[in-house]
Amino acid sequence: MAIIVTGRLMTFILMVLTFIVMYYYMAINKEEEYNIRTLPAMTAIPEAVGRAAEMGQPVFWTPGISGSLNDSTQGPQVLAAISLLEYLTEECAKAGVELAAYCPLPDAMPLVEETMRTAYLRQGKPEEFNVEQIVFISGQSAYLSGVLGYFQRAKPASNILVGGFYYEAVVIGEAGNTIGAMQIGGTNNTHQMPFLVATCDYMLLAEELFAAGASISRNRDELGSIKGEDIMKLILAAIIGVGFLLGAAGITIVADALGW
Amino acid sequence: MSQMLKREVVYAITGIVTVIMFLEYFFFPESQAWAEIIRTWSVIIYNISLGLGAVRLTMAHSMNVQRRRENWAFSGVLLAGLAIMLLTGLAGYFMTGQQTNNAIYNWLFNWVYTPLGATLYPITGFYIFSAAYRAFRARNIDAALMLIAGCFVILSNAPVGEALWIGFATVGEWFRFTGQVPGMRTFALVGTLGMIAYGFRALLGKERGFYAGGEE
Repeated sequence: MAIIVTGRLMTFILMVLTFIVMYYYMAINKEEEYNIRTLPAMTAIPEAVGRAAEMGQPVFWTPGISGSLNDSTQGPQVLAAISLLEYLTEECAKAGVELAAYCPLPDAMPLVEETMRTAYLRQGKPEEFNVEQIVFISGQSAYLSGVLGYFQRAKPASNILVGGFYYEAVVIGEAGNTIGAMQIGGTNNTHQMPFLVATCDYMLLAEELFAAGASISRNRDELGSIKGEDIMKLILAAIIGVGFLLGAAGITIVADALGW
Repeated sequence: MSQMLKREVVYAITGIVTVIMFLEYFFFPESQAWAEIIRTWSVIIYNISLGLGAVRLTMAHSMNVQRRRENWAFSGVLLAGLAIMLLTGLAGYFMTGQQTNNAIYNWLFNWVYTPLGATLYPITGFYIFSAAYRAFRARNIDAALMLIAGCFVILSNAPVGEALWIGFATVGEWFRFTGQVPGMRTFALVGTLGMIAYGFRALLGKERGFYAGGEE
């Protein structure tokens, strides 16, 4: 009897290898300095907050409604959006700008609240945090109606649409364009990326969403994991390349091995 | 104590749950009692959060009505809707043993809630048009290439395209089913690696967002 479930051996090997490579760059390789390119979307956040401060209008943030934290593909995106919310809230607290957070995910609400509360506290302005800044609307259509209504009433100067999105991406993005808001988008959902690219001024595409926090904090551990991720990317690209060439020659050993 | 609850206990729970799920997926898919318990608990916690949300919503909007705050009438409508759906759902449960097997509840859901949602959905079409109009402008070489590809895809979908030239269907389909695939798969691959990196950082307690921010 196989120790590892049939068909999952290569997944196991690649996952363990990924962890080892990431851990090496995070915790063992202490001498090398890591650099990360500046993500334009992240450098645009202070600009977006500054714009709101100049116009005297709020900043809007939403993580989308694609799935709960339980969802294996959508959950991490929502968590990454909450990481970004921390930075955004601090910038808003510094500039004295109102931040409206529309969170349609009930299980993410406590995290959103705690993140914002902590960010205000860290800026020495706990009294400025108002729990009514966070709006929960359940259901996709109701959430969209609420957001569109808010856009017409409050006309936010900047919109941050980062997280897991479904069809609300194009609706919120276009409604934001209608009111002339500066928009920063980000998602890992490939089917919604084109809509956010078309409607937003800046964009965090795929892995950039998960690297956004590190690009700002420049924390060595976070950068190390991204370095490890890049190495794994090269390894996987090499496997794909070799598999493609061998496959073209009629040798299916790589394709077969991936199915072990 | 609160800091400890916020960080160390969360680290511990995250670690234990990850190990159990990892072992179940790769080594013991048949004996999944622990993993099943965790999955059940996650559903229970999710539903508790829904219940808490409903209680908090009721409190917040009751306050709006009580103090006649701005737009308090909308809060009244929300409370009325909440009460009607709750009471009809409960009535159905007590009468038939099934929560949704109730004519009034079903009528409200099928003929009020669903049509309202369905009404909002088609506006997506108009927004896609306006987004496409903005995206399909040949401002540089990349945008021009996208415009050309977009035109082929549109004309392959529209009946008039094939009427003009039969090749539009072939070229459009190539873009949809072949040309775009490498790009999308690249995004899928690197996005997944990004997710794994995020999960690994969270597991090691290095991801601030996962723990609702850093130290106060």
